[in-house]
Amino acid sequence: MTDRTILLVEDNPDDEALTLRAFKKSDIRNEVVVLRDGAEALAYLFPGNGDTVPRPALILLDLNLPKVGGLEVLRRMRADERTQMIPVVVLTSSKLDEDILDSYRNGANAYVRKPVNFSDFAEAVRTLGVFWLLLNEPVPDRQPELD
Amino acid sequence: MTELASLADGMFVALLEAAPDAMVCIAADGRIVLVNAQAERLFGYQRAELIGQPVEILVPDAARAVHPGHRAAYAADPRHRPMGAGLPLAGRRRDASTFPAEISLSAIDTGEGILVTAAIRDVTAQLRVRGLERSSQSLESFIYSVSHDLRAPLRALSGYSGILLEEYGGVLGEEGRGYAERIVAVSAQMGQLIDYLLQLSRVSRAELRLQPVDLGAEAARIAEDLQRQEPRRRVCFTIEKPVQALADRQLIHTVLQNLLDNAWKFTSGRDDAAIEFGTAPSEDAAVCCYVRDNGAGFDSAYAGKLFQPFQRLHAARDFPGTGTGLASVRQIVERHGGRVWAEGAVGAGATFYFTLDGKESA
Repeated sequence: MTDRTILLVEDNPDDEALTLRAFKKSDIRNEVVVLRDGAEALAYLFPGNGDTVPRPALILLDLNLPKVGGLEVLRRMRADERTQMIPVVVLTSSKLDEDILDSYRNGANAYVRKPVNFSDFAEAVRTLGVFWLLLNEPVPDRQPELD
Repeated sequence: MTELASLADGMFVALLEAAPDAMVCIAADGRIVLVNAQAERLFGYQRAELIGQPVEILVPDAARAVHPGHRAAYAADPRHRPMGAGLPLAGRRRDASTFPAEISLSAIDTGEGILVTAAIRDVTAQLRVRGLERSSQSLESFIYSVSHDLRAPLRALSGYSGILLEEYGGVLGEEGRGYAERIVAVSAQMGQLIDYLLQLSRVSRAELRLQPVDLGAEAARIAEDLQRQEPRRRVCFTIEKPVQALADRQLIHTVLQNLLDNAWKFTSGRDDAAIEFGTAPSEDAAVCCYVRDNGAGFDSAYAGKLFQPFQRLHAARDFPGTGTGLASVRQIVERHGGRVWAEGAVGAGATFYFTLDGKESA
């Protein structure tokens, strides 16, 4: 079942601090789980010991991550029925066409380039939170049981 | 020899001569029996100097000792071996110099023993191109990581200064807030510089996707956007339409955007601001366009500096900017095989011209 958790997959501690603050400032009170590389993200999403697979409400995914890159995390999520429909927003510094295309090809729901400017960045995080957590209808819980 | 056989023989020799590659035929004992003109040219020998010699004469010194062994192995299992399959190979010229080669082998059973034909191609040029492609790829990825890694600390600078302003503004006092605001502003400016570097590297390598574009319609769209963003400004736009040209739509949009942004910016002090997009006659190009304004203008003594990156002719407090817009314009226009120039005087406005010929330049 979808929980209200936000997953922030981000290796840069400054971006992490700014993102968390932006959520707090925009009154988005959901629990934010921070994972600092792709391997941590995969371990969280696929516990692999019989535990239920978590189903966060939103994943903010950086592309350039230590160990396992963001695109690989995305690929693995989309290949698995249990994580296939979790909204994933790629939040990265890159604006290379290749990165944008690869992200969409691998099933990203959105692609946002992190603005350098403080207020633009805070506004981007706020908008993402409001859209994906309030405005957007999540995948219904009552779908044929998959896990 | 029968007539038919000699006819076939003649055709074989003619085909050999017509082949685009250097061809060398070797008998079972390793001696050269036939070469074509391309082989003479490639190795620097006269035909007579090669016939009857062991083929090792064409093999670089370092590989010469092991070559007969390779030859025997091939004769024992004479399958066609295509070019480029296997190890990097080299040939040896008469003057002992060597060149990288692709060599393909095939065996013909003549009835009087096996004749091995080698086709040899000098791949020096291909290797050079491949090397250039590799270095340009690594430059691209270098610029990519630089831009990525430089943006992150800027975001932190801007972010923490912003937090100071929002949460500790009272403690900082007016002067302290001013400094924090400056940090935010210069971070944003450096962000633009990084984006410019990124764009510069991409424009120089990107493939031009030329298509018919109405430059007038593009200019009109940009003018509308500018007016929408600052609805209180009164600017009289005169835009010639249509202006058909063959161009990369995205890139030429950047050109017009930069020129019109500038015109908009430098007319901000005027109540009777006027901006014009039009065409001028040209002798050497398919189309010559200009963007003219009646704004602040520039000192024509510095006209040459206008299109250099990071050059600014106005104080940042009068007209903010990073000094990268016109450098981008020049780069894109030259990529299209055109040129840019400017006319103007202080206080008398400026006119920026660019030509396009629709043919891709190197």
